[in-house]
Amino acid sequence: MREGPSRADRTSAVVTTVTARRAVRPAVWWGLLFGALIANEALTYRSTFPTMASRREFAATFGTNQALAAIVGPGHRLSTVDGVVAWRVFGLMIIVGAIWGLLAATNLTRGEEDAGRWELLLAGRTSRRRAAWQALLGLGAGWSVLWALTAVATTLAGSSDTVGFSVGESLFYATATTASAALFLAVGALASQLTSTRRQARGLATAAFAACYLVRLVADGRDGLGWLRWASPLGWIENARPLTDPQPAALALVAVLTGVLAATCVAVAGWRDVGAGALERQREVETAIEARGRPGSPLGLAWHLERWVVLAWIAAIGGLGVIFGVVAGAADEAHFASTVGETVAQLGGQGAGAQAWIGYLFLYVAAILAFAAGAQIASLRNEEAAGHLDHLLARSASRRAWLAGRLAMAVCLVLGSSVTAALGGWAGLHRDATGLDAMLRAGINISVPGLFVLGVGTLLYGLVPRFAAPALYTLVLWSFVVEIFGTGLTDNHWLLDTALLTHLGPVPASPLQWQDITWLCVIAIVAAGLGAVAFDRRDLSGA
Amino acid sequence: MVPAIRTSGLTKSFGGNVALHPLDLEVAAGEVVGYLGPNGAGKTTTIRCLLGLARATGGTAELFGVDAQARPARAHGRVAYVPGEANLWPGMTGAQTLSLLGRVQGSVDAAYRAELVERFRLDPSKKVRAYSKGNRQKVLLVAALSSRADLLILDEPTTGLDPLMEQVFRDCVADARHRGQAVFLSSHILSEVEALSDRVAILRAGELVEVGTLAQLRHLSALSVDATFDSDPPDLSRVAGVVRAEVHDNQVHCQVVGSVEPLLGVLAASGVHQLLSREPSLEELFLAHYGADGQGRESAHA
Repeated sequence: MREGPSRADRTSAVVTTVTARRAVRPAVWWGLLFGALIANEALTYRSTFPTMASRREFAATFGTNQALAAIVGPGHRLSTVDGVVAWRVFGLMIIVGAIWGLLAATNLTRGEEDAGRWELLLAGRTSRRRAAWQALLGLGAGWSVLWALTAVATTLAGSSDTVGFSVGESLFYATATTASAALFLAVGALASQLTSTRRQARGLATAAFAACYLVRLVADGRDGLGWLRWASPLGWIENARPLTDPQPAALALVAVLTGVLAATCVAVAGWRDVGAGALERQREVETAIEARGRPGSPLGLAWHLERWVVLAWIAAIGGLGVIFGVVAGAADEAHFASTVGETVAQLGGQGAGAQAWIGYLFLYVAAILAFAAGAQIASLRNEEAAGHLDHLLARSASRRAWLAGRLAMAVCLVLGSSVTAALGGWAGLHRDATGLDAMLRAGINISVPGLFVLGVGTLLYGLVPRFAAPALYTLVLWSFVVEIFGTGLTDNHWLLDTALLTHLGPVPASPLQWQDITWLCVIAIVAAGLGAVAFDRRDLSGA
Repeated sequence: MVPAIRTSGLTKSFGGNVALHPLDLEVAAGEVVGYLGPNGAGKTTTIRCLLGLARATGGTAELFGVDAQARPARAHGRVAYVPGEANLWPGMTGAQTLSLLGRVQGSVDAAYRAELVERFRLDPSKKVRAYSKGNRQKVLLVAALSSRADLLILDEPTTGLDPLMEQVFRDCVADARHRGQAVFLSSHILSEVEALSDRVAILRAGELVEVGTLAQLRHLSALSVDATFDSDPPDLSRVAGVVRAEVHDNQVHCQVVGSVEPLLGVLAASGVHQLLSREPSLEELFLAHYGADGQGRESAHA
């Protein structure tokens, strides 16, 4: 009896199943978070803004806030529940969805290949193209769960008498909200075919995201540049305008691009070697074992492995500082500055003008730096889980020396990025009177959350290495969400104090909050010390 | 003379699971000791405790008299290690890796390293990610052997090596022994251990069950015999020295402890058609002498 085709189908189904199983689990959590945020925003709108006057005030304050528009996109019809849900939650989830998509795709495709598991699957009755296609289907299953949970939450919340979204509007909103996730799943999958390690794939996909985001940010950050939104796929999603003025054609563009990227991914998978990347270059290699520039110590190795990551972060944050400086300066010139005054006042600052804008925007840079610090702690764990650390510690390197070297690199990343952000912001504000000293104070300010995350992250890494990175990312995300939504909606200091960013003022629009900064730094130093002791006393553990 | 390795009551538990029962073991300087046991017996756990990579639950572990748990970096000063899993930095070349490991080691015989690269036929210009499993293992072997460390701790070091390279490895270990280096060789390949070791220690389920020279452990060895007969086979279970005789049609598989003469006598008189004898695998040895229920050893000795 011939069973060939059915066995081949089963083999391919295994690839889909394995990928889907790992993609769906986190998608469920993200879908629940998306749903909860949407439902919360829709259902509490009327209680938060009970009168038409309060809604108009909200729309007047935030609808013309160009800094916020640059970050999460411009708002439309902000005096209605449609407009608020379509702006605040939507803008945030586009970013989060894209990041989830690129991380999930690179982990589940190139990550599997790095670990050697992909070869096992390819050894079955399948081909590289078919396996790549099936992996994309598995990733698609993860996206479907994210979309379904978002759609259900939006539809249920929308059916409330106080909200009133139609089913069609809800489904379109869910599709637009999760479109960035689908797009960057495809971007991540293609990057995994082009590069030869997960780290490189993640870097390429992140660079693609950063480029799309920066173009969209510039388009939304300055008057007259709205057309630039069509140069960025994230701008297309923004132009879909769910709930306020739906434009399905914009989403169709995203669907077409996603399809093209997926098809390219499958095609590249067919002609590249397994284990190699399509863009891998053959370089002249120094074959002498003892040559100049070889890493010769744990610190040297840390520099060798992380130098491009550190330099890329420092350069990227510096570039972001320039953009934020330009945006702040433009907003000031356009007389939008008065609208940010209230927001800045809620954060402990005063006045309006470019200083208020740059101070507000730099809090987002602080969140990004805290995320980068969390990623550095994650890389410590990855180094240990991969078994690389054994080779150093079984020789004459000590645990503390290795940890100190890696933390020194991470501190350089945070402080270096803070300095370049300050210099970039100052350069961007060149027509403003904001001095370099004021911007350097802003640089000190934004380094604090990153340093805190490094300290607490070291403690978590010493005690519970597997959970350190997820806990840190959760802390940063929570801080970001509270910073965006919390300060305007509640004055409950117990809630606000749990977020890192609320301990910072919008420097240079406010003075440095030395007391809070000192406390955060002391906690970070003590936590790092305790973490080093805990790391010294525990077993090294694998993945 | 200070022993290269000395453990006293060394214990390791993971939660409620005892991975290593109190272990008392000594390896003299210049001695090659084979550390045998099936998968999961606790060999790697022992080595990780010896190196301070895992924290012992109890007892002490010393390398050349230095407490490896309290002062691991100092204890490693005279030690080189080859793990069973060759997980190296994929983005680095073999040359970069050898350079790094040599510098972190603190001592390296560069001429000998160059010779080892030749002997193992290693291309150091390639990136680690492009290496086969065997080539990654070669990088670690070259790094460890070229350190000329006083103690080599090798955890299943020939994983992935082809037979030719395995022979090169054996020659290198023999060279190390002649130079007076101690070697602690963890393996589940009996022939490798037999060929290289002065003494053998056998671990089972985290407990040290035998330690001694190969001559002292002869009572453990049994010959595995497969005999095919022209007609129904005779009853071999009563023949002196025969244990675990299993009959399948006209074939018999059995193991012989001690002299094979009584068995040969019976076979010669019974129309044996084909006779195949071989050294038992470690698995067979353990089943014969340390059955899962703990009764095997007594029956074998009876």
